[in-house]
Amino acid sequence: MPILQIEEVTAGYGVGPDILKGLSLNLEKGKSYCIIGPNGAGKSTLLKIICGLLHPRTGKVIFNGEDISNLRTDEILHRGICFVPQDFSLFPDMTVKENLRMGGYIIQDRDLVETRIEEVIEMFPILGEKSSDLAKTLSGGQQQMLAIGRSLILKPEVIMLDEPSLGLAPNIIQVIFDSIEKLRESGMTIVMVEQNAHKGLDFAEWGCVLDLGIARFEGPSDTILNDPRIQELYLGKIQRVAK
Amino acid sequence: MTDSTIIFQLLVIGVTIGGVYALMASGLTIIFGVMKIVNLAHAALMMIASFITYFAFTNYGLDPILSVIITIPVMYLVGVIVYKVFFGSLEKDARFGELTVLLTFSIALIIEGTLGYFFTNTLRTVSVPYSTSSFWIGDVFLPKGQLYATLLSIALIISLWAFLRYSKLGNAIRATMQNSTAAQVVGVNIEKASVVAFGIGIAMGGAAGSLTTYMFPFYPSKHWEWIGILLSLIVLGGMGSLAGSFVGAILLSVTATFVSHFFGPTWSVATFFLALFIILLFRPQGLFGKKMEVK
Repeated sequence: MPILQIEEVTAGYGVGPDILKGLSLNLEKGKSYCIIGPNGAGKSTLLKIICGLLHPRTGKVIFNGEDISNLRTDEILHRGICFVPQDFSLFPDMTVKENLRMGGYIIQDRDLVETRIEEVIEMFPILGEKSSDLAKTLSGGQQQMLAIGRSLILKPEVIMLDEPSLGLAPNIIQVIFDSIEKLRESGMTIVMVEQNAHKGLDFAEWGCVLDLGIARFEGPSDTILNDPRIQELYLGKIQRVAK
Repeated sequence: MTDSTIIFQLLVIGVTIGGVYALMASGLTIIFGVMKIVNLAHAALMMIASFITYFAFTNYGLDPILSVIITIPVMYLVGVIVYKVFFGSLEKDARFGELTVLLTFSIALIIEGTLGYFFTNTLRTVSVPYSTSSFWIGDVFLPKGQLYATLLSIALIISLWAFLRYSKLGNAIRATMQNSTAAQVVGVNIEKASVVAFGIGIAMGGAAGSLTTYMFPFYPSKHWEWIGILLSLIVLGGMGSLAGSFVGAILLSVTATFVSHFFGPTWSVATFFLALFIILLFRPQGLFGKKMEVK
């Protein structure tokens, strides 16, 4: 049984039009997924729907057999899904340590939170060196590490990353992807939205091309990368946007 | 009195009034910081606390400083009820900002009208012995009433700061003030943080409403003057910044005291509005605020 099922979900913002138009997807436990597509395709909307920042107008989101469509974000976090939004979404006037502590906000056991913080610092040693610095003083790459590290405090089953390479230098992007690789090796299910389509598909095992709110293509990443139709229709277009 | 003594005296008076202004502004700024509500009813809600204090004093002889023990919890509850009744259903509205300005303006009018109907627009004040006596340090006097009010105000602001800094709920409120999406992503229940922050903001205003009863005469319509002053304080400090509202309150209070001394008391209130005008013109983000991005 898939760990996460998206069943004919339609969704949009406020009274605006549908962004997702009956999207269906099945995600297997422990696999990594990259969702690509042109701007406005509904990629970020999909992640917001899964983590409860937005609720579907119709359709269902099923996680481990439970309908989580209308749960709050904190309730979804408790079930093991974490989200790292675009632009890092940190608390700029809190220190690195405070940001990491906020990652364990829903954990009652404060000692456990401190232990998890040490584990995250082992993974990203720079966060330990900068633990007393305000988040807003970190570089883009360090902020992304902090955003990912903060979500790892909960040791989620599924981590969703919205544009993890956005605005970062190529060498920093590699560092971020290396750390995401470690998460994959630990058995975590990874769902990534990536404008840098080649990078994202190179990393992920499975790809999905989203366009106008529905999944146009799905399949193993290398198949998507090598499909001439997709290259012509989406990858070329995406690369132009990315430039 | 020498010139330096006069200047020191004016500084003392400015700072001792500024502490109470800071208490009023702290409530307004925390509400704006968390919910982006410009609460035009803040001073009107303060007036409710002033009337509670006045009647507790006239009927039971309760000291206005001690009456904060009553007005803080009562106004917290009033804040929670006002939020749940008026703002809860608007949270997801795309025009939340505009609607809350109109809504808080209406709430201010309703409170003013209700207080005016029951208690008339008569000027009232609470007369306690310390409101007219002073400590003397050489040639400089420290008005006892203002000093006590400012010390209590500072104690309350420090308590608020400690709550925001060290408690779990306080951190949730602080996180929401800094980045509400990120707060949601880590599991903060934004609605609960908003209700508590609104209640705390009104409770702080309530405490200030009690303390001003023996410093300034009050009447239901007085809130318009207060809200103008408060908006200039928090705009100077930077909307949503607790430290900024404190610094803004002290700076403007001292300036107004100097203006009052050198140009006459009539110009004192004008200082706040002139400051508001200048700040919005040259540094709209205030001293401690961040520039807002229009997306």
